[in-house]
Amino acid sequence: MTKPFIEPDIMRISWGPQHPMSGQTRILLDVDGEKVHRIIADLGFTHRGIEKILENRTFLQGIIPMERMVMADTPNIGLGYVTAVEEALGIEVPERANWIRSLLCEMARINSHLYAFGLQAESTGYFPAVFIWTTVDRAVILDLFEELTGARWSLNFFVPGGVQKDFPEGFEEKVAKGAQYLRRRFEDYWEAMVENAIFEVRCNGVAVLKPEDAIRLGATGPVLRGSGVDVDVRKDEPYAAYADLDFEVITEPACDVMARTKVRFREIGQSLNMMKQIANEIPGGPIRNRVPIFARSKPGEVISRVETARGEMGVHMFTQAGMNPYRVKIMSPTLRNMYVFERLAELDEMLMADVPVVVNSIDPWYLDSDR
Amino acid sequence: MSGAPEEDFVKSVKAAHPDVVLSAEVLRRRLISAVVKREGLLDVAKSLRDDFGFTHPVSCGAVDYPKENRIQMIYYLMNPKWRFVLTYRVDLPRDDLKIPTLTQVWEAMSFHEREAHEMFGIEFEGHPNMIPLLLPPDWKGGYPLRKDFKGEGAEE
Repeated sequence: MTKPFIEPDIMRISWGPQHPMSGQTRILLDVDGEKVHRIIADLGFTHRGIEKILENRTFLQGIIPMERMVMADTPNIGLGYVTAVEEALGIEVPERANWIRSLLCEMARINSHLYAFGLQAESTGYFPAVFIWTTVDRAVILDLFEELTGARWSLNFFVPGGVQKDFPEGFEEKVAKGAQYLRRRFEDYWEAMVENAIFEVRCNGVAVLKPEDAIRLGATGPVLRGSGVDVDVRKDEPYAAYADLDFEVITEPACDVMARTKVRFREIGQSLNMMKQIANEIPGGPIRNRVPIFARSKPGEVISRVETARGEMGVHMFTQAGMNPYRVKIMSPTLRNMYVFERLAELDEMLMADVPVVVNSIDPWYLDSDR
Repeated sequence: MSGAPEEDFVKSVKAAHPDVVLSAEVLRRRLISAVVKREGLLDVAKSLRDDFGFTHPVSCGAVDYPKENRIQMIYYLMNPKWRFVLTYRVDLPRDDLKIPTLTQVWEAMSFHEREAHEMFGIEFEGHPNMIPLLLPPDWKGGYPLRKDFKGEGAEE
């Protein structure tokens, strides 16, 4: 990185790149005393070239490197790629498979948001206990993943044409039970975080991002919805089973760090409802249409958009006659939100102690922004 | 406006800039492609933001077609009211990859243009901060996402 101009009386602090909070990145802060004048994000420490790797894999092989983008949220990321492949190859998905996909995506959203809470609580410097709570409660979700898919983190469960396995016996009841347990825990989290005096002081009114700025700067996901803009791909362009599920787009008008945290809280509540609904109403039928392993594509292009836990992810896939994608462009949510983070110091007054709170409020996942 | 907003948009953008918009079509529901000539890139971009409401930048990237000797630069834009994605494209010959930066229209394209610059070698004239985004600062291995990239690493 070349050296940008530093104004006199300004000190530049380099934060990272060794895992400052949630991944390997370097953040440069220009500070005058306690006040942060400018933030520069220096990304790229975890760049693995996933877009290039995908060009050299068959459509089926591509699922595995793709899901390495966000380990806490593999079903959502994998679904973005798999739906793009399905459209490119013209594959239909059975209805039951779509419902199973939605179930896993919502469970992953809960998993990912729980991780975000843990970090947010830790960054306020008050109670690392919440991080332990969320880590333990995450096991409820991970156990369900393990029972269904055999894996706890990187599931590789969605394949073009459907999903790999059907529910084991009694799985629906376990899902409903898990949702009930998490809902009860959720009241504790709400009390420990949102209604806690210290958390309120650290988060209320910090790093305000007005709706027009959020749109102009290309924010996405809970950051955008925390500024009161109701954009959600699940509603705007329903995929999987979202057209049949009952949910609404959650927004918060306050536009600050607390609003983004509250959006995540309320999204979890909604995901728990959807888990219950899917467990009760999932239709029967086949779960997978067989697709040849070495499927061949025709020339063309497709876009698929999914709402991951961090925001909208798009996959723009170009195909030519062959077994590999010609080019895959991944529109990563964290990269968009990192730009917003860079600008936040100029939009609103920010102190040095606020920086960890603010960076965790956008829930960054640098493996996602670097790809 | 009547009918689907996509169809209306395609018609009106063609009518507003008949000389520079080469094609505008609905690829599928909620996905639209508009290809412009290089000369009109900046003007049409400004009109897309101000007249057509594409105020929400999503991303940008490029595709390399060495056989046709062109690289297609693609900007992904969204209109928060209509909720569809516009892929705003311009074709560039591979030996002359200069375009004006669209950070003057959508500030947030900054990161994405830096990525397109290091991965494809596209020159964005007037970009405020053109330093590598993802690649190391001493990278000399060429442009990784071009089709003729051999993967020789950072050595000269």
